[in-house]
Amino acid sequence: MGGIRDYAIFSLDREGRIETWNVGAELIHGYSASEIIGRSNSLFFTPEEVAAGHPHALLGRAAAQGRVDEEGWRVRKDGSRFWADVVITTLEDSQGQWIGFAEVTRDLTQRRTVDVARRKRQEDLLRSEERFRLLVEAVQDYAIFMLDPDGIVSTWNSGAERIKGYTAAEIIGKHFSLFRTEEDVRAGACDRELAMAASDGKLEDEGWRVRKDRSTFWANVVLTAIRSSSGDLLGFAKITRDLTERRLLDEERLRRARAEEAVRLRDEFLSIASHELRTPITSLQLDLFGMQRELGDSPTLGKKLARATRNVDRLTALIESLLNVSRLVHGKVELKPEAMDLSQAVAQVVDSMRSQVVKSGCEVALDAPESILGVWDRLRIEQVVMNLLSNAIKYGAGGAVKLSVFKSEGQATLVVEDSGPGVPEPDLERIFERFERAASARHFGGLGLGLYVSHEIVNAHEGTIAAGNRAGGGAFFTVRLPLKTALGEV
Amino acid sequence: MPDRMPDRILVVDDDEDIRESLIAYLEDNGYRPIGAVNGRHALDLLSDPDLRPSLIVLDLMMPVMDGRAFREAQLQSPLLSNIPVILISAYDSAVGLAKSLGIGACLLKPIDPDLFLRFIKEQRRVPS
Repeated sequence: MGGIRDYAIFSLDREGRIETWNVGAELIHGYSASEIIGRSNSLFFTPEEVAAGHPHALLGRAAAQGRVDEEGWRVRKDGSRFWADVVITTLEDSQGQWIGFAEVTRDLTQRRTVDVARRKRQEDLLRSEERFRLLVEAVQDYAIFMLDPDGIVSTWNSGAERIKGYTAAEIIGKHFSLFRTEEDVRAGACDRELAMAASDGKLEDEGWRVRKDRSTFWANVVLTAIRSSSGDLLGFAKITRDLTERRLLDEERLRRARAEEAVRLRDEFLSIASHELRTPITSLQLDLFGMQRELGDSPTLGKKLARATRNVDRLTALIESLLNVSRLVHGKVELKPEAMDLSQAVAQVVDSMRSQVVKSGCEVALDAPESILGVWDRLRIEQVVMNLLSNAIKYGAGGAVKLSVFKSEGQATLVVEDSGPGVPEPDLERIFERFERAASARHFGGLGLGLYVSHEIVNAHEGTIAAGNRAGGGAFFTVRLPLKTALGEV
Repeated sequence: MPDRMPDRILVVDDDEDIRESLIAYLEDNGYRPIGAVNGRHALDLLSDPDLRPSLIVLDLMMPVMDGRAFREAQLQSPLLSNIPVILISAYDSAVGLAKSLGIGACLLKPIDPDLFLRFIKEQRRVPS
């Protein structure tokens, strides 16, 4: 036993004084037998442990239990420390009398260094895995989860909970077909998806997926096969993004582009059609003129011809208003501004429309007490007044129509009020739009086109036009034109 | 109505109804109109000195030879270049084109019959 080199084997008396010493003990502790025999084993402990009474306590425990073992730091003769595996057992004489202790010590420093490094690596790995797990768990914008090789959900992050609506407890252990529509499931999409990911390593897909509440969302899905180093399929990592909003935006953009194209085509058609209409109208007009000359004395034919002529005039006016719209659509309104009096212009329009007013049965009153001077396009402004007055007597149901011209807040203001049924509230916002669909049948007859043309003309003057309903019934239209112009205040 | 030999007016338009309506209307108002179905046809008629008009009423868009090509050919011929032209068209752009082709009068369809007569009186060349 004395020759064993890898173990320090020595005996202690009941007080802990060293009685025997082997070669291993000399190699590990650094003391020769002559140096150490008779001295206390507390020499082998660190000063802190000695101060804490550990050497004595350890022997006490060994005496009480018959055996004690520990791993800990020990101190060599030269003061250096080593990591020791220590076993202390009690020694008895042949009569069974306790006479001391046997101590076996191994130097584990080298093993401990390796162990510490290995443990550190393991801890680092665990920490890093933990960090990664926390990271994945915290990601909100992506559903990130694992499926086992059969498609059973095995992990779940907060993004998955947010996007799909299931908590981890609800979904882990369930098959991922829950995320697919019934049609997809019936068509075998789930098995196909796993098979493709398994064979190709990865699968990317976009399509409708189903939330817990059975609502659907447009998803981008990446499914990646996870394999062991030996190639066994361990499962799949699945990353799902909710692209519903983006898809809706795309669809909206597409829808708007289509709508704009439809409007463009319609405008083009409108332009061509109205131009084409001009030619036969010319022929009609000229022939009707000719017939009237040859008429002679037939009163019935005369009436019919007059009616035909009147209707050709109406057609002509209608085509002109279509062309006006067409011109407004294709280019900006070009104004020919001149110094003019708005009050006077309104009075002239009212006067020129006298016969239509009489026919409508409406009472038209004009309140324009003072000259309102400005620089505007006279013909265009007259057109606006004419459109608004035509509307008023058309929808005014034979009641009172009032036109007021005045200055207000530095603007020239024209208000046209009628006593008709008013404009339905939902239409107020859009009656200045071209061919507003809700009332399209009327539009070609006048209302829509007239208001649209008026709106464009007033806009070109940097003014505003608005419609509203009067408290007592009937509609009002307000046109405001800036008094200040490029030429300054007139 | 002119009291001497009425003025001859050449109406060039491919649309038969328009052409005939214009001719009838001009006849009603004391002129001697003749019709041509396109620019080429008009040039053929104009090669006969007996048929040479004092005014040409010209449509713009026609097959075979359109109004613009006809006007360019007319301006090349010393015998014809002085005959005044009234351009008629359904398109606003004709006004600018008339100017660039040296045409003094342009009427947009639908033509106001009275205005048409006034233009003819103003434009027609007094035969020498």
